[in-house]
Amino acid sequence: MYQYDEIDETLVRERVAEFRDQVKRRITGELSEDAFKPLRLQNGVYLQLHAYMLRVAIPYGTLSADQMQALGEIARDYDRGYGHFTTRQNIQYNWPRLVDIPDILDKLAGVGMHAIQTSGNCVRNTTTDPYAGAAADEVADPRPWCELIRQWSTFHPEFSFLPRKFKIAVVASKADRAAIQVHDIGLRLKTNAAGALGFEVFAGGGQGRTPRLAVKLNDYVIAEDLLAYITAILRVYNLAGRRDNKYKARIKILVEETGPEAFTAEVEAEFAKLQGGDLTLPAEEIARVSNFFTPPPVETRGFDLKAQSQAFQIWAERSVKAHKTEGWASVLISLKPVGKVPGDATAEQIFAMAEIARQYGLNELRVTKEQNIVLPHIPQADLPAVYEALRAANLHADNGGLVTDIISCPGLDYCNLANARSIPIAQAISNRLSETGLDREAGELTLNISGCINACGHHHIANIGLLGVDKRGEEFYQLTLGGAANENAAIGRIVGPGLSGEQVPQAIEDVVRTFIAHRQDGESFNTTLARIGLDPFKEAVYAH
Amino acid sequence: MRIDLEHRPALDLDTAEGVNEANIHVRLEGSVDWERVRALAPRVERFDIHFPKFADGRGFSIAARLREDIKFQGEVSASGHLIPDQARMLTRVGFDSVAPNSNPEDPAWKKGLTTFSEVYQPSNDRRSTALEKRTLAAKQALVDSLNKRLRGAPADEILREATRLFKGRIATLSSFGAEAGVSLHLVSQVAPDTPVLFLDTERHFDKTLKYRDQLSEHLGLTNIVNILPDADEAAEDDSDNRLWQRDTDACCDLRKVRPLDRALKGYDALITGRKRFHSATRMSLPPFELLDGVIRVNPLIDWDRDQVLSYFEEHDIPEHPMKAEGYPSIGCWPCTQPVAEGEDIRAGRWAGSEKTECGIHFSAKSKVA
Amino acid sequence: MLAITANRLDDGRVVYRTPLGAWSAHLSEAELFETAAAAEDVLKLALSEEGVVVDPYTMDVEAGVPGGKKRIRETIRNTGPSASTVLELNA
Repeated sequence: MYQYDEIDETLVRERVAEFRDQVKRRITGELSEDAFKPLRLQNGVYLQLHAYMLRVAIPYGTLSADQMQALGEIARDYDRGYGHFTTRQNIQYNWPRLVDIPDILDKLAGVGMHAIQTSGNCVRNTTTDPYAGAAADEVADPRPWCELIRQWSTFHPEFSFLPRKFKIAVVASKADRAAIQVHDIGLRLKTNAAGALGFEVFAGGGQGRTPRLAVKLNDYVIAEDLLAYITAILRVYNLAGRRDNKYKARIKILVEETGPEAFTAEVEAEFAKLQGGDLTLPAEEIARVSNFFTPPPVETRGFDLKAQSQAFQIWAERSVKAHKTEGWASVLISLKPVGKVPGDATAEQIFAMAEIARQYGLNELRVTKEQNIVLPHIPQADLPAVYEALRAANLHADNGGLVTDIISCPGLDYCNLANARSIPIAQAISNRLSETGLDREAGELTLNISGCINACGHHHIANIGLLGVDKRGEEFYQLTLGGAANENAAIGRIVGPGLSGEQVPQAIEDVVRTFIAHRQDGESFNTTLARIGLDPFKEAVYAH
Repeated sequence: MRIDLEHRPALDLDTAEGVNEANIHVRLEGSVDWERVRALAPRVERFDIHFPKFADGRGFSIAARLREDIKFQGEVSASGHLIPDQARMLTRVGFDSVAPNSNPEDPAWKKGLTTFSEVYQPSNDRRSTALEKRTLAAKQALVDSLNKRLRGAPADEILREATRLFKGRIATLSSFGAEAGVSLHLVSQVAPDTPVLFLDTERHFDKTLKYRDQLSEHLGLTNIVNILPDADEAAEDDSDNRLWQRDTDACCDLRKVRPLDRALKGYDALITGRKRFHSATRMSLPPFELLDGVIRVNPLIDWDRDQVLSYFEEHDIPEHPMKAEGYPSIGCWPCTQPVAEGEDIRAGRWAGSEKTECGIHFSAKSKVA
Repeated sequence: MLAITANRLDDGRVVYRTPLGAWSAHLSEAELFETAAAAEDVLKLALSEEGVVVDPYTMDVEAGVPGGKKRIRETIRNTGPSASTVLELNA
């Protein structure tokens, strides 16, 4: 993975020094809250219900064992012993003291990490396929491009005060494991007829209040022009994006109001001016960054799945993924044990994952947008040992990809913006579907919960989505069906009136049972839904 | 970037279009009509970009477009609701000054300019980016290792290694002067298709031009690239063809330094015929050096005068006709004189002035400093 | 009834304003006001204490516990996350 050089390190250290000074000025009264708030919001520090919240960037979800270890130490030393992995492949701490945050940032800087641009109306952390560099179906590892985007976007002088936040996602295969269609910019790495790398460029996707799928701006932008092209998009957006209404400020509204063709024409005109200029990526730089991301050599030790315990085999079925290099596998660690808090891990669990990566996994880990962890490179021969080590740390949940692998935002239990709780709902659903055995019976199925319309819990793009709303002081949940985050991206449709928290587990059970009853062999949830329509689900849910 | 305590007045776009004066100050705000701005720009001395709220970052892109697209060279100032944290961004995108609404005397404004000692993005402040520094460091490392390996090596070995390493991205520079035959002969032996860059200053002796054609044919060099000064620049700087009389440095800059800079864009490495014995200023030269991002290859660096003479004889290389007339180093006719016995070989170049080199072998940065 | 609540500046913890003008972690120690008008002057004072707390505001209190439209939110602020944490569950 990418290693900081002196330049990267200097910048991160200077940012810590700057923030330390800002905190000092706030505490001594030199800065008012009004002046301080935009400054802390440029560095991932929010004030939530109970405490400050610090969001730490995990660039494109890739972590070294040492970085993971440091995240655990921060949870242990500055928080209450746990951290929350997010749908943007980052981690959040719920309880840090403001006065400790500069020290936390210092500690992060020691392992090449930071909280830069994890909030604010700027270009946020670029996300990608958690199996990047390991997936057999990728054209090339997408992470060098994510790293080039990271550097280009860090402290960008022109794009630090955009109309609204800006999220970029990159994939490198036909299968979309980064939900590029619901990002401000979605990039798909591909090759042209001559075999040269380039990008299919999408823009204007997003979730939140007005969920939209991105439109394609260009079918092929040659890789060396990547930064020039996205600069053109950002410049058009920065100049023309709406600033009169926070809820209409994302690029998706600009694309829609301008019209996809006219918007594309503006971007192309801007790109024509930038192409061939200073933003062109030299081949040497592409090679230099790519050299940090190399696949492991062939592993010759053998492995016999049939010889393993049944518990291992059940776990492996949901947790072990094919790897592009012979003899290797990727391991999914579900942070969704039945009835627990989605995406949370204790300091001890974080240490355990770091240690496993160190011992078996080439020191590398990934955070997924489903709030799980991936060990991308594990020799197949070591899978039983990895399984035992995960068991010892209570990290052996075998429900990856099942309906109990719920994405959930922190909701009203922590978040200042939330209208309703998410976590207790997730727990109740998870318990119900596991007790009834419906989770395994249903197979691959996604269920996401957001505590407010900002949609951090990705409810729009789940097969089954739940959105928390406030109705005169009471929590209600709006049910949507038919969303998808993959290459067949879709926005879910609202089924009917909101449900109370108590009604939700039964309603979800009804939806899952309806799916199982109607599906024809091998059908996905959305295929069944498309075939039979919403009505059978509606009837099942609202019959009670 | 200057931090102004007071906001200077400026005309709005409508008013500015109505007045007939030049050197006007014009205020831009919100969404900009670029066609009108483009039309007005030649009459504008200063564009003032107003920020209604610090969070409204349109002004950063407006400034970037003024600099990059309109190519506006005058002053660009910022005014309105801005915070000291934005100082570094303002200066990077091309602002010359800022007049913030509140607290211009806050020391954070000055401090904000120096928060970060490194930058990732190329921008209008032309600061050297991380990428440029890294590329340079990598090239310097390559140069160091080549010098370690090849210092003192025979010329043909240095040349062979250089043309192999930089295949397709290496050229040779030749003045077709008195000694040019040696390195050109070597190139013709190792890689005859190597581009030979000739800086046609339009001030060469006719004998040099003839020699150029005769020698390249004799050696079988297939890729002679004649590099002329930019016609517009020449018309601007040297309309009377007398620039050499007024300012030799400016003449070299117009006819050699800038054309070569442009020509070198496509190359990573450049072969020169420089030798240490030429002058005191070249005594410490290594076979490889890095100059403004281009690696200079000096295969003949160790050679002395006798080696040069015997090489000509040994390989039967035609000589520059002026050599016999007492010119051991031949440049442009206005600035080249014969040299007396015992003088430095380059003593006849810019004789009577302190100038010793035209500048093509100097870093652009060292000239500024 | 109304109480004045805020988050403490240095650590962000939930606090309530006491009759003596201090800030307490316990709602039971908060000064209670009959109406918004009655709380107005104290709220102004609280708002001026920028070096101690962040964004003070009034909240409804009924029978000593959070009430009104923001009952759930204020209850969670008062007693902590309603969901068990990963520490209790995943260990």
